[in-house]
Amino acid sequence: MRGFFKILWAELVRSFIIMRRYWFASIISIGMGYATLVTLVYGLVFAAGSDSIRAMADNAINGILGFLIGAFAFGIVGMFTQGIQGMARTGELEQVCLSPFGLVTNFLARSFVMAVNSVISCTVMILLVTATVAKESLHWSPFATVVLLVLTYINLIGFGYMVGGLVLVFKYVGQIAVIIRFSMIGLAIFATEQVSQWPALGRWFAHAMPVTDAAICLKYVLIQGQMRPVLDEAGQKVVQEVVPVLDAQGAAVLDAAGSPMVEAVYALQPMSVFLHESFLFLVVSCVVWTVIGIACFRYLENWSRDKGTLGTY
Amino acid sequence: MSTEYAVELAKVDKVFHTHHFFQKNDDTGRRSFYHRKRIHAVQAVEFGIRPGEVLGLLGPNGAGKTTCVKMISSLVRPTAGKVFVNGMHVEKRRHEVLRHVGVVLEGTRTVIWPLTPLENLMYFGRLRDVSSKDLKKRARDLLDFIGLRDKMDTQVRRLSRGQRQRLAICIAMVSDPKVLLLDEPTTGLDVQSSRAIRTKVVELTREFNKSVLLTTHDMHIAQLLCDRIGIIDKGRLITCRKTRDLISVFADQTYEFRLDRMPPVELITSIPGVHEARVEADGAEEPVLLVRVSEDETERSRALYEVMDALRREQHLVRAVSLREQTLEEAFLRLTESTI
Repeated sequence: MRGFFKILWAELVRSFIIMRRYWFASIISIGMGYATLVTLVYGLVFAAGSDSIRAMADNAINGILGFLIGAFAFGIVGMFTQGIQGMARTGELEQVCLSPFGLVTNFLARSFVMAVNSVISCTVMILLVTATVAKESLHWSPFATVVLLVLTYINLIGFGYMVGGLVLVFKYVGQIAVIIRFSMIGLAIFATEQVSQWPALGRWFAHAMPVTDAAICLKYVLIQGQMRPVLDEAGQKVVQEVVPVLDAQGAAVLDAAGSPMVEAVYALQPMSVFLHESFLFLVVSCVVWTVIGIACFRYLENWSRDKGTLGTY
Repeated sequence: MSTEYAVELAKVDKVFHTHHFFQKNDDTGRRSFYHRKRIHAVQAVEFGIRPGEVLGLLGPNGAGKTTCVKMISSLVRPTAGKVFVNGMHVEKRRHEVLRHVGVVLEGTRTVIWPLTPLENLMYFGRLRDVSSKDLKKRARDLLDFIGLRDKMDTQVRRLSRGQRQRLAICIAMVSDPKVLLLDEPTTGLDVQSSRAIRTKVVELTREFNKSVLLTTHDMHIAQLLCDRIGIIDKGRLITCRKTRDLISVFADQTYEFRLDRMPPVELITSIPGVHEARVEADGAEEPVLLVRVSEDETERSRALYEVMDALRREQHLVRAVSLREQTLEEAFLRLTESTI
């Protein structure tokens, strides 16, 4: 544990120095991130094909949140893949291997610093985008959000350790890992509670990926405010009221016959995210990925030592 | 395991397997879908380094020097045999061993370029579990010692190659290890940088009683720095002895005859007791005949008389005769069977 905190401190200082020294690049990257998200918002609104401002906003905020969770996963897994490749190329990996704290502790501390950085920048980004483009505020629930972020992080590093171990032995796996990383972004964007209605194979694949249930839970907390539709005896959503469809200017949208269009607002009831079925999947996948990930990483680290590829590209 | 040594390799073997797809097989000369190649990088290597000693490991490219360094620093696991550092088995107590070993692997690749030397030392010091209380002072002392105090706040990317290499040595020493492994630390450096590193290595061993393993291609550096030298070729340790002894092995065997014209080399070679004869400065005004003779004193004396007789018969003017001063390079080449 002492080793973890020591490396954590070293990494924090290093990233702070680099961020301060290359402040222009840091600002540019935030600007680029903002531009990407704004483009994404308009893309999602367009893709939604809906005239309803409510549907558009829901769709956009769902996409942004998914994108940011995906970016978080992309970064953490990337540290174990392209990160290790890059470190091997510059020789930094050899130095990390020579640390008496071991590679597992080193990567844990590194990924933690990266996760903290990522959470801070994602929060800034989401606040900016929701305030300026989506005009929709999120339901901030600090305790649930922090618990979910920690579980997401544990889940991702477990997965990252497994892929990272493979990269230690086969450095070119890093290129294949790019596909996995992008698929995580895709899953995070499109992961909704509808996953439970997918065919069995797709459902299990989605639950096995470390980001799906994390994204569902985070969206449930931040977008839905831990409220779920009330179902009647037939399992159908109970309609609370019917309201007119409004466009972006707040005017009523008319159908082809010239009558105002309407949409249903469903009745909602509170339910803690900790009782959500995706939360259970998230906890299970956390345990499974962490155990598998660390076991694989240790085995592959030794294999890499045997092959003589540890630390080299 | 001997208590005499700070580092000890006991009958260490390392075999690597490489896998090739759609490549030409060197053995069959044919392209195949897949073939596996077995490389015996290190074969039954045994040596030890005493505290305060510099051991040089010399050998051609691919001889197994770096593999030995990596096995001591636990980056590579031996296939057979054992490696000990301060009496600890490297494989069994890897993390503990790493507290006692500082490594410079291919020099400049060690450091983080956007940081300054001081920041690099602070960063790597934390990674090596150096107490935070002492770290800053130690970092400054090391920069003083290595002569980089004035570059303390300059980003590494703005330093010269020699300065980066010196910084790499500081990083290896930041945890004050008892054993220092330097893998070709002077490769690609200019004379001044190379000399600065040489001086510092000497100071380290003499003043701070460090055990140093130095792999290098630079025979001059090895001759000046190393107390003992091991020569490794094709994974085998050919010899490991004191530098002075290694050089003197062949010192009393090669004689130079400075002549007026080209000598009859075939005639000289046929003389009993003459192992080899060749002409240096072929075509020059004053060719030099090099004659390597027997180690046995009587046989050597007889052979030298006969060489002189042969030269007199051929009416050569002998301008000078001298014992050739042997260098480490010649000893190395002889031992690795390339040439005299």
